[in-house]
Amino acid sequence: MFFDSVKFWNTFYIITGVTVFLFLFVDFVVIRKILKKPSKRDLASNLIVIGWFIAIVVHLHASLGNFFFFQTLFDKMLGISVLALATTGIVLIFKTSITTNFAQGMLATFGVYVAGIVSMRWAQNTGISSVFQLAMISMIAGAIVAFLMGVAIDVFIIRKSKYITSIGKQMITMGLVLVISGIIPVIFGIDAISVPRISSRPISFEWIGWNFTVSEHALYGMYISVGLLVVLFTALRFTKWGLGVRATASNEIVAGMMGVNTKLITALSWGIAGALGGVAAFMLAQGGTLSAGMMVSTQVNGFMAAILGGFSSFIGPIVGAFMIPILSNLIFYFSPLWQNAIVYLLVLLIVLAKPLGLFGKRIAKKV
Amino acid sequence: MNSLSLIRQKRIGQLKSLIHHPYFGFLVVGALLLFMQGLRAAGVNISITVMRTFGLTMIYVIIGLGFSILLGYAGLASLGTAGFVGIGTYLVGYLTTKMGFPIYIIIIISILGAILIGLIIGFISLRIEGMYLAIITLGLSEILNEVFKNAVEFTNGTNGLNMSTIVFFGTFEVINIETIFTALVFILVLVMVITFNIMKSPTGRAMLAMKNSESAAQAMGVSILKYRLMAFMIATVYAVVGGVLYMTYFGFSIPSSWGLAFSLNILAAIIVGGSRSIYGVLLGTFMIFGLDMAVFQTINVSPTQNASVAAFIARFPEHTEQLSEFFRSLNGAIPTMSYIFNGVLIIIVIMFYPGGLYQLVITLKAKISKLISKVMKKVKVYRYGEDR
Amino acid sequence: MAKIDKVIVQWFLHHRIKQLESKILFEKDYHPFFKEDKKEQHLQKCQRANQTMQASLIQPMIQAGKPSDDIASLLAHKLQKVRTRYYWKNRSLQQWYSRHQEDNAQYQERKRKLHQALLEAETKVRNQFEPSTDMETANAVYETLQAKKRKVYDKACERSLAKFDQKMKQATKRHESILSKLEPRLQKFEDKLLQLDTSNSQLEAALPEGVVLKLDKLSMHFGGLKAVDQLSFEVKRGEIFGLIGPNGAGKTTVFNCITRFYKQTSGNVYFRNRYMEPLNLSKFKVHDVIKEGIVRTFQNVELIWELNVIENLLVAVHTQYRSSFFGQLFNSSRLRKEEQIMRQKAMKILADLELSHYAYWYPLGLPYGILKKVELARTLMVNPDLIILDEPAAGLNDIETVALQKTIRKIRDEYNATIFLVEHDMGLVMEVCDTVCAISFGKLLAIGTPKQIQQSTVVREAYLGGEA
Repeated sequence: MFFDSVKFWNTFYIITGVTVFLFLFVDFVVIRKILKKPSKRDLASNLIVIGWFIAIVVHLHASLGNFFFFQTLFDKMLGISVLALATTGIVLIFKTSITTNFAQGMLATFGVYVAGIVSMRWAQNTGISSVFQLAMISMIAGAIVAFLMGVAIDVFIIRKSKYITSIGKQMITMGLVLVISGIIPVIFGIDAISVPRISSRPISFEWIGWNFTVSEHALYGMYISVGLLVVLFTALRFTKWGLGVRATASNEIVAGMMGVNTKLITALSWGIAGALGGVAAFMLAQGGTLSAGMMVSTQVNGFMAAILGGFSSFIGPIVGAFMIPILSNLIFYFSPLWQNAIVYLLVLLIVLAKPLGLFGKRIAKKV
Repeated sequence: MNSLSLIRQKRIGQLKSLIHHPYFGFLVVGALLLFMQGLRAAGVNISITVMRTFGLTMIYVIIGLGFSILLGYAGLASLGTAGFVGIGTYLVGYLTTKMGFPIYIIIIISILGAILIGLIIGFISLRIEGMYLAIITLGLSEILNEVFKNAVEFTNGTNGLNMSTIVFFGTFEVINIETIFTALVFILVLVMVITFNIMKSPTGRAMLAMKNSESAAQAMGVSILKYRLMAFMIATVYAVVGGVLYMTYFGFSIPSSWGLAFSLNILAAIIVGGSRSIYGVLLGTFMIFGLDMAVFQTINVSPTQNASVAAFIARFPEHTEQLSEFFRSLNGAIPTMSYIFNGVLIIIVIMFYPGGLYQLVITLKAKISKLISKVMKKVKVYRYGEDR
Repeated sequence: MAKIDKVIVQWFLHHRIKQLESKILFEKDYHPFFKEDKKEQHLQKCQRANQTMQASLIQPMIQAGKPSDDIASLLAHKLQKVRTRYYWKNRSLQQWYSRHQEDNAQYQERKRKLHQALLEAETKVRNQFEPSTDMETANAVYETLQAKKRKVYDKACERSLAKFDQKMKQATKRHESILSKLEPRLQKFEDKLLQLDTSNSQLEAALPEGVVLKLDKLSMHFGGLKAVDQLSFEVKRGEIFGLIGPNGAGKTTVFNCITRFYKQTSGNVYFRNRYMEPLNLSKFKVHDVIKEGIVRTFQNVELIWELNVIENLLVAVHTQYRSSFFGQLFNSSRLRKEEQIMRQKAMKILADLELSHYAYWYPLGLPYGILKKVELARTLMVNPDLIILDEPAAGLNDIETVALQKTIRKIRDEYNATIFLVEHDMGLVMEVCDTVCAISFGKLLAIGTPKQIQQSTVVREAYLGGEA
């Protein structure tokens, strides 16, 4: 290893230690004792955590140098977009059905299996020669199947279990994981299936004096996910459906009384979450064979991202989805074995400081 | 009432009070398990797989009982069980094979370590609640899993750690599965009794109060800090002790066993069985782990290996090919069938019986007794006519 | 430095004193309970011996032809059994006949047989109860047997009594020795505490004699909203104190400040506990308040739905259990004793509030009035000094409200508790309270007897708004 990892870790510890100290000092001394304004606590801790993140990133940049830093970012582009899509799906379902959906990854896997079958069996027979077109068609087919499956799950299972605790619902999604992972080999057989590559061309370009390479399919992946997320967020902000989702998220019963069709909204949310997962899985599966457990680590990272950003907001989890892969891949250079553990530990620390996530809002409780 | 019948009633009452004693059921469970082992020793054909299934299920029941206190009584959800069980397995593996510690000292060390871990998570749980806590514990479990994978000198990495001997009173002894099975039965009964006592004690009531209404519990003097820490300590101690037992019984531990799937399975076992009853945990654990290991993984209907299937095919000479093809594909699908079966079971039980299978059993019992009394009434009217 | 030392010593002494007091309390509670229990056991043993004697004497008594109620009832019982069997057989036969009308001859035949069987059975039973022909021998046998059995019985009773006496002696000795050991120790600690001169003169000055609770310029602000603003009043020991005010006046906030659910922005809450120690509640945690004797109910019933009524009551006393966690793990004898005592106490309180019938019911599904009463009963479990009732009459009908008035008075008189309540039902407040305090927007409007409040124009304005 040609990086000075001892020096890196020393500085890293110093930065983190100082942040922890600063946080405790600000929280316990400045805000509680001097200012006596608990409302300012969230702002202060947000600032401190963001400052810490910036300091770490700057420190990583300084120790890695321009080339490795930015090349890692470009390499991780696909990972970030996949994680952002998966996390958004999880958060969407959390908001409408108040449960953490463990079946998100399995839904996505089912979708990508359908995409693989479509590209291998059906699309080749119709004579589509362009790989790009084939990929797009199979991706859309997979997303549609995942959408329908999500809707079906909501209609037949989740809707009927409205009065069950959120842990119970969580277990239902876990049962779904088992069912889908049992069904996949039955339906799709045990032969190796792979999805078509959108493109396998690497693109080279020169920037700030270095020659960087990006694979083209990562670029496409980024375009697709950014496009999807922009459309989704616009819809959430400006359409009636988005208003309905926000209303359902805050209180389902009241929303229903106010004339919001909560059934349609939860069904659509499940469908959209499934479709987002399908697209994410399709991009993750580029250039490899499919397996039933391919989305598990993405799923865990998605939960981590969502809890880091805060389940109660939509933008927070996306920020989380940026932070986790970047940190984990940059730390890889200094500790190739412990990168994930370190990132999870950092997430744990941040969440301890801010229990509701970076962008979460506190809901007052009445006694 | 005369003296004679009074005495007779008293005798029946004594018998009844013995049967209705809360520990009686636990002793029966232990006796049945020992009886099974005795049958096997006497030469009845019970396969080693079935015995091993029961042994492992007992360990999972111990882990599940701790979890049921955490979830059913304190109302805290954790997905970190797998990590703690893993700690137990590696602790006993490392301390025995590398350091030569005797088993009882290891159990004391593991209990102390578990209390420490429980304290840490308990403090975390004060700040983070509900689903968030579940995911944070999941993160902790993932961190532990990374440790299992990467701390090669302690855990032998992804190759898995083997342990074939335990140290007992200063001498290395080769693991004898039969003896450990017997020990497991006794430990299981002890753990069930202890769990029952915790559930019925003031501690259990305080935990339930905390689960139902935090503010009422606090107004009644229940310290949230104390009981959360206690719940987590109990659950972690059970999990780590379960890990120690697993390693002593099974003799092999690999990081991939201690992933998210294991934690979710334990959670599923508790919820399917019923999170507030000991028999529910027993039932649920057997449903989730036992059936899979004892039934689905032992069924073999391959026409070349199963004689009765081959004989069945031979009876239809004109369809031999289709039939053998059918059985071959069925044989391939059976392991995944267990997944589907478990999944459907979980979904149906939670949707229709939120109290778990135990609730189902109780409802069924009530319904059956109602049905019987109805039938008896009909029979009476048939035999004796309507009451005048 | 010396001051800190003093504080630590004081804390330690307080801690020890409380521990000792609870131990003595348990001992004093447990001793009579133990006595009762043993006496019951002794009586049961005697009764059982008596029953055994009677049962073994029945056969000889019949032989000797002695008249006895026991024998008569046994005979009647046996005859009844035979007749019942005949009744059902007869009914079955009737049913058969209603289906086979044509077979009259067979019916008659079967009926005759059945009747004959009944007669035979009856005579058989009677024969069993016939005295022996050789009366004298039978009599002699009976006499000797009776004397023998009587001796056995007397011996058993005697032995039981001796055992009981011995146990009583031991228990009393143990009880006295424990008390004689603990009480001087308690006295010693108390003397030490006195020597330290820890009586906090500031607190003493703040809390006049006879005042149980005092709010001193209490303020609670939520952001810009001043829910409670510079509120001061005093609650005297043994009175029923009512806090009234329009919606949003901050009544529940006051409660939450007293019971530490909220931490006040400024001001103090003083409280004098049952040992007449003045305390500043600002330093307490929510779950510690109950140990000083302050206990509250909630606006919407906050019971534990997964426990039955009596266990709900036991939750309140869980800080009074002295058995360790290991004792609880293995269900130690001490825990069982404590559990019995607490259950007895709970049953007594339930009987006082006419709730005994519901003791083993689960609260889910019980009527609202009962739930409110259960919550009230739960507060009584801890021998409270100050009971804080948050809208006790909300959701009750008129009859239940009248009953509640009686209950509140009864609690005050029988349990020596001060009661502090918030209520919207003016009828109840004016009827039951000794002192009423009216607040509006967190500020004190008026304080006085119910009559004074009724005539106060300020209060009327606050309720009805301006000149009305």
